[in-house]
Order: sequence, then structure tokens, then C-alpha cells
Amino acid sequence: MALKTLEIIKKRLEERPKEIEKARREGQKVVGWQGYNIPEEIIYALGLIPVRIGVGGDDRMVEIGARYISTKNCVFVRETVGLFAENNDPYVQNTDILAFDATCLQTYRTAEIIQYYFNKEVLILGVPRNFYWPEAKVYFTKEVEYFTRRLEKQAGKKLNYQILADTIGLYDRIRNAIVTIYTYQAAAGNYLSWEETYDLIHAGYYLDRREYLSLLEQVLAELREKQGQPFIEAVEGEARIFLSGSVLPPGDKKLIKIIQEVGGRIVGDDLWSGLIPYLDVKIPENSLQGLAVGYLNRTPHGALPYLDLDTDRRIKRLKELIQTFKAQGVIYHTLRYCDPYTFKAKETKDILQKEGIPLLEIHTEYAGSDFEAIRTRVEAFVEMLKNRYDEEVAV
Amino acid sequence: MSVSGNVFRYPEEIRDDFLQTADIQFRDGSKASPAEVWHYLTEIGPKKYPHIYDYSNYYGRKISGDVTLPFSLKHNYLIMTMDERMTKAKQNGIPVVFVQGGQSVDPYYAAGAIALRPASVGIWASCQHEGLNLNQEEVRRANQKEKAYRAISFEVCQSAGYENIQEGTVPVDMIAPYSCLRCSDVSYGLEAHRHGKRKDVKLFLADYPLDHQKDKEWAITYFAENIRRLIESIDELTGGKTTAEDLRKEIKLHNEGRRLAMEIADLWWSAEVPPTNGKDRRDLFQMGGMELHGDPEASLSLLREAKGYIAERVKKGQKGFGVSDNPVRIFVCGSCVFPNEYRIEEVGGIVVGNDNHWSDITTIVEEDGDPFYNLAKAVLSYPYEQSIKERAKWTVEQIKRSRADGVLFLYNWGCNTQSAVARALVDEIKRESGVPTLIIEHEQQGTQSEQLQNRVNAFVEMLK
Ligand code: SF4
Ligand code: SF4
Repeated sequence: MALKTLEIIKKRLEERPKEIEKARREGQKVVGWQGYNIPEEIIYALGLIPVRIGVGGDDRMVEIGARYISTKNCVFVRETVGLFAENNDPYVQNTDILAFDATCLQTYRTAEIIQYYFNKEVLILGVPRNFYWPEAKVYFTKEVEYFTRRLEKQAGKKLNYQILADTIGLYDRIRNAIVTIYTYQAAAGNYLSWEETYDLIHAGYYLDRREYLSLLEQVLAELREKQGQPFIEAVEGEARIFLSGSVLPPGDKKLIKIIQEVGGRIVGDDLWSGLIPYLDVKIPENSLQGLAVGYLNRTPHGALPYLDLDTDRRIKRLKELIQTFKAQGVIYHTLRYCDPYTFKAKETKDILQKEGIPLLEIHTEYAGSDFEAIRTRVEAFVEMLKNRYDEEVAV
Repeated sequence: MSVSGNVFRYPEEIRDDFLQTADIQFRDGSKASPAEVWHYLTEIGPKKYPHIYDYSNYYGRKISGDVTLPFSLKHNYLIMTMDERMTKAKQNGIPVVFVQGGQSVDPYYAAGAIALRPASVGIWASCQHEGLNLNQEEVRRANQKEKAYRAISFEVCQSAGYENIQEGTVPVDMIAPYSCLRCSDVSYGLEAHRHGKRKDVKLFLADYPLDHQKDKEWAITYFAENIRRLIESIDELTGGKTTAEDLRKEIKLHNEGRRLAMEIADLWWSAEVPPTNGKDRRDLFQMGGMELHGDPEASLSLLREAKGYIAERVKKGQKGFGVSDNPVRIFVCGSCVFPNEYRIEEVGGIVVGNDNHWSDITTIVEEDGDPFYNLAKAVLSYPYEQSIKERAKWTVEQIKRSRADGVLFLYNWGCNTQSAVARALVDEIKRESGVPTLIIEHEQQGTQSEQLQNRVNAFVEMLK
């Protein structure tokens, strides 16, 4: 039932590394970035090629990375370091400049390690932890301005604000398309699965953003044609699962595969590598300040602490999304040594329990050794959700 | 010194000399005379806290046997009276604020609060239990920690007093650490309290901006605002109004502590033979942070007195108690975990310095001008919180000044941000100083510290 456009995207992804290589030969520069709060619009508007780096799921690469960073860092950052140590990944090879933000301290450390051992030019964008303060917005605006000045140097030109405005428009359309596609994947009679949507999002890490938008629009056109108006409802026999917690980057499919194998249906997420960065982005004006404020006002990343539970927007959004996607349970994925999400697992479970939403925490790494143990737990969870549905329908 | 059956007793022979020493001056204007201190250490302490008098070398916090150093005795007195002093302060309406990480505590005291780090909160909680032997005390601690691991995550590196605060055993009014690069657990540990049962504890995060922060005006201004808001939050507890002048005065006081600690370090490091053992050195240097005793004036009075004694010993070439001849000098890097100095001394080594809780002490705050800005600038300049190269450069200076023969980098299991840079930092240190290095991870929740110690000792043996 795969959509035609997905085939095109697959092919374009295969061609993309060569294309980037060629662009570099012709003088364009590539910015490999990682983080949650980097306004990619600036990179694109400066004529630089943005590539979101970082993949997961490869334990060998984790092992290589741990020789430089430590075994007490999350596997995602260890694998990122491994990618640079091995230097075989075409996107890593073709990165001229790196940009990391300081949202998660481990990402920040990763940037330091890559700079130290692999001699890469790394730009860091400071991110305030008291992000909801007006003063934090001023600080972040200054950081974004400083970041832009350094990027301008790399690009060899000044930022053109008309181009920036157009780029913000382009990115807004990408975000809207992704949000709409999410509705389709969660609907009854869907032609696109959550996993395909997840791959579709990750395609946007590499493809040229204009082309990416047109591909997303093609996907939407196909969906409209096949599926009509999407209608989200829970269907008998389904175990509708919402994914939350630590990042599931491209390549990390262990948990996704397990959920599907045991008959669960993933219908939504609030992952850093999924839907959440595209939600609630309102750039109030086409300026650097507008971008800074717009980014900071999104649903915050779990690595930014927030001290009042009752007004935590991340938790509020989580509850809303569970409702929107009519999820029956949450699988909360935590990577070992990912403190930002691991420390919140119990709290999130308690909060959702009060709403009658069960949560299963899966604490894992990229090694396959825990595959069977996770499978057993997820299977029992999926069964429980199915039984609950039957009981609720029976009542 | 006298020891019977592994129980330490202060010897009567030193009594008369000790009684000639200075009073401890407290912040509230009160004093403790040497006679009171002596009475406490010899009569009250042994009954109340038998575990503190356990003289096994396996107990890393045991009393230093260097009984002719008055500051060492007074330090022990201040540790043992933590519960009494904090209870008294609380009765007088002084809020207690929990802080974390190597940070200056000037703003907390300027606002009329007491700032305590995890270790001090742990001491306070421990002092509430009388009559325990060392074994019983260790079991009690482990049980307490277990509660925190269950409530937060078993991956917390250390529980940062969560259990004691949430249970209300230590009536902390506010938790207000600085976030910083050194540590991610600070922020998430703080955040975890929002879900705890104690709703009366105020939470505040002083947000430490990252990356070349000291060179960015906007980062300094932002952090200065954090300090301002921190003080305002404490003012809400006290009902007072802290002024810029209050902060300036406090900075001056704390600068005196910082300067004294640096002068003492210079003396100590200049000596042919180490003038104290490692435990006394560490306590003494750390007093410069003015947070160790929950009373900056008390710490200051000990520092003032200590300087003369150290100078005297250096002049005479007198060695600290328990230190071997020509010991292997070790500099410790990393955070929140320390080797047992007595065991190192047993094998012919000595710890001569450490980076954690020293980088803040070596940073003097400018006294003229806007104190919020000055303090922010100083705090953002802590060498420990800078890039790998900058931090390594400063560390190498300390290694050279302390004439260290080897460098140990220790970090706790679960300490993501220190472990992340352990290798890079050590590689840079080795490259710049040529000094041999060793990285050791402290096993999960401190259960295997014996293994850590064996590796440390093997390193010392190798350097001999
Ligand atoms: S948020 Fe978690 S998974 Fe992501 S980089 Fe930080 S520690 Fe790793
Ligand atoms: S051991 Fe590391 S993570 Fe833990 S409190 Fe200390 S610095 Fe923070």
C-alpha cells in the first residue's frame, strides 16, 4: 500500500550524498547540525546546505564513539561521536561546519569532543534553561544573532532578510504539511503508517528543503486522493500506542519493530526526532528575534528543566497529543544515561495514571541483547491495551 | 593522638595548647571558645556520634590524627554541631537553601540565607541520628539513598540530598542551585522535586549560560539577572529587601575567604614536605568556598587562624601527620567523588590538590561597580566550566604549582558530563604537562569503592 511518492523519496535519498558532494565541489558549504533549538531557516537562507546529523541503532558505532566520549553518555551521542571517528558516513564526510545547540548538555559535550578530536569547526548556540523568562528570550536572541554572524562568515555573505522571510514561509509550509500528514497516519483506513511518517520526517534531514516540501505536498495529495478526509478513531482490535521519551533517530528501529511485531499500532509521538519540533512554531516576525522567540516558545525539549508541574507545557502537550491521536497507552522510551528523559519517567507515569492512561517505560540501548526482554514486556502491554479496549466497548 | 580499639580520642596533652587558640566567630555574633570546642570533642561528640570517632583507615572521613592543628579540631566541631546550628538558625527565621556544584554562595548569604551543598545536607541529616557506630551509619545512609534512587531513577549519580529533603528530615526551605556545564544532574535533580510530596519547598534554578559565556556581555547580563532573581526569591522567604550594597559587602567577605585559601595553598604547595595530610589539606582549601560549615564567618575564622599554623610548619619543614617521606603527589580531577586520602597515604602517596571546588575559590570577584554584574562575570569565568582546552590549561597550572607527580580523573557512575570530557581533558593535560594520568569511574552508588581505591593505590605504587 506504499504511496508512490515514498518510492521517489527513497530514490532521492540514495542520490542525495552525491548531489551534496557535487554542490561542495561547486563551492557550497554544508552545515551539519544537531540539537533542538537551532533555527535551520538561517542556515538555508544563507545559501548553506543544512543536514541534520546523528543516527542511531548501531552498537558498533557506539563502541567506537565511547573511546572518545564515555560509556556513561547516551548511545545517541556516543554513536554521533563514532560517526566522526570512523568518518564513513557520507553526510559526516561532507560536513564543512558543525552546529550544535546547548539544549542537552550531552549534545554540547559531543560538540566539544568532535571539535577536540576531529578538528572540526563547531558553532555552538547557547540555549537558556529558564526559557520562559523574558530575559531568557533576550539572551537567546543575542545568541541567535551571534550564531548568524559566525554563519555569515562561513557563507561569505550577509543574511538577506527578504530571503529569510521567504525561507520562514517555506519552513512553515513544511511544518504544516508534516502536522497534516500525522493526522492521516493516525486515522482509520490509513494509507501511511507511523513508521513511514517517521522515515518521511527523517528524509527532511537530508533533502533540499524546497524539494522536500514539494515531495511532502505530493504525499498529501496522494493521501487526500486515497483516504479523503482523515478521521481519527480507535478501531476494534487495535492497541494504539503513543511514543514518548528519548530520541529515536534514523536507524534506531528496534523498539518500533517490536511494537509492530507484537501487534501494536503506533499512532503518535512527542519525540525530538518525530512530530514535536514541527508543532506550535509561530514565528512572530521575519527577523532573527522573531525566529529566536518562535523557537523558544515551542513545546520545550525535556532537557530544559521546568519547575512547576501544573504549568508544564511539555506535559500539557503530551496529554493533548494522546487525546488527538486517540492513543490508548504510552510507551516511554528512555535511552540509558539519558537523564533528561529517564529522570522524568516515573513522574510521567504517575501523571498519566491519573488520567487513566497506562505507561510502559522501556529503558534500553542499541545493543540487541535486550530484544527478547523488551518484546515480552511490550507484548504484555499491547495485550493489556487490547483487552482494555474490549472491556470498554463491552461496557 | 590516642586510639584504643580503633576508637579515636583527642589526647589530654594537647588540651592546654588548644585552649590558648582563637574562638570560632559565628555569623550571628556568637562565639565558641576553645574550651567549649574541647568539651564537645572530648565529652559530647564521642557519645553522640561514635561513628565519627571510628579510626579505621577504611573510613575516608575519619578524624585527622593531626591534633596540633587547631583548625582541624574546630572543623570537626563545626561538622558535629551542624544539626544544632542549623536548628538554631531556623528557629531564628533564617532560611536554608540547598545548592549544588562548585559555586560561590555569596548571593545566598547576602540575602540572609544559609547555603548548603549536598555533602553538608548529608552531614546535617546524619547528625540527627545519635549513637550510631560506623556500620549502622553506613546502613542508614544507604537506605536513605535507595529511596532517592527509587523516586528519581537508579541512574542518578548521587541523590543530592533528595531523600532527606523530601522526607523533611532536613527542613530545607528552598532548592536553588546554579545549572552549569559540570553537571546535568543538577537541573534534573532539582526538577524532580516538583513531583515530590513536599510542596512547601521553593524551587529555583540560576541558569548558567554556556559556551564562551565569560566573553559574552549578553550572557553576563543574563546571569546577573538570574542572581538578582535568586536574591529576590530568598527575600520572599525572609521578608527582607537585599540591596546591592548587601551583596557587595558579602562579596568582600567571601573574597577574603577565597584569598586566604589561595595564600594557604601557595604556602602548602611551596613546602618541601607536605605540611598537613591530605584530609586536612582538602578541608582547609575548601573552606575558601565559605560553604563547608553553613556559616561563612566561622569558616573565615578557621582560615585566618590556619594560615599562621601552616606558615609555621612550612618554615620548620614539619610534615603533616601520617604523611610518608617523599610521598608521591597526586592531583585529583573530576567531580563529586574523592579517593580515601588515608589509604593513599598508607601506600606512600598524598593528594595535593583537586580541581572541583577549587576553580570557584580561585576566582576573585571584582569589588567595585555593579555587584550583580561582577559576581555574574566571575562565576561565568570559573575555569572548571570552560572549554576542554581552557579548563586543561588552568588545571595544568594547578598541577605545576602543586608539583603533582600524577593526575587522577575520577567520576561517578552516571556522571554524564564529567565522564564525557574525562579522556579529552586528560589527553590535553598529558600533552601539556607530561604528567602521568589515570581515569577511574566510581562504581554505581559507591558500592565498590574498594576497587577504586585499589586502582588508585596501584597508580601511586607505579609512580614511586
Ligand atoms: S536528550 Fe537524551 S538522548 Fe538526547 S542527546 Fe540528550 S541525553 Fe542523549
Ligand atoms: S557526579 Fe557528576 S552528574 Fe553527579 S552531581 Fe556530581 S557533577 Fe553532577
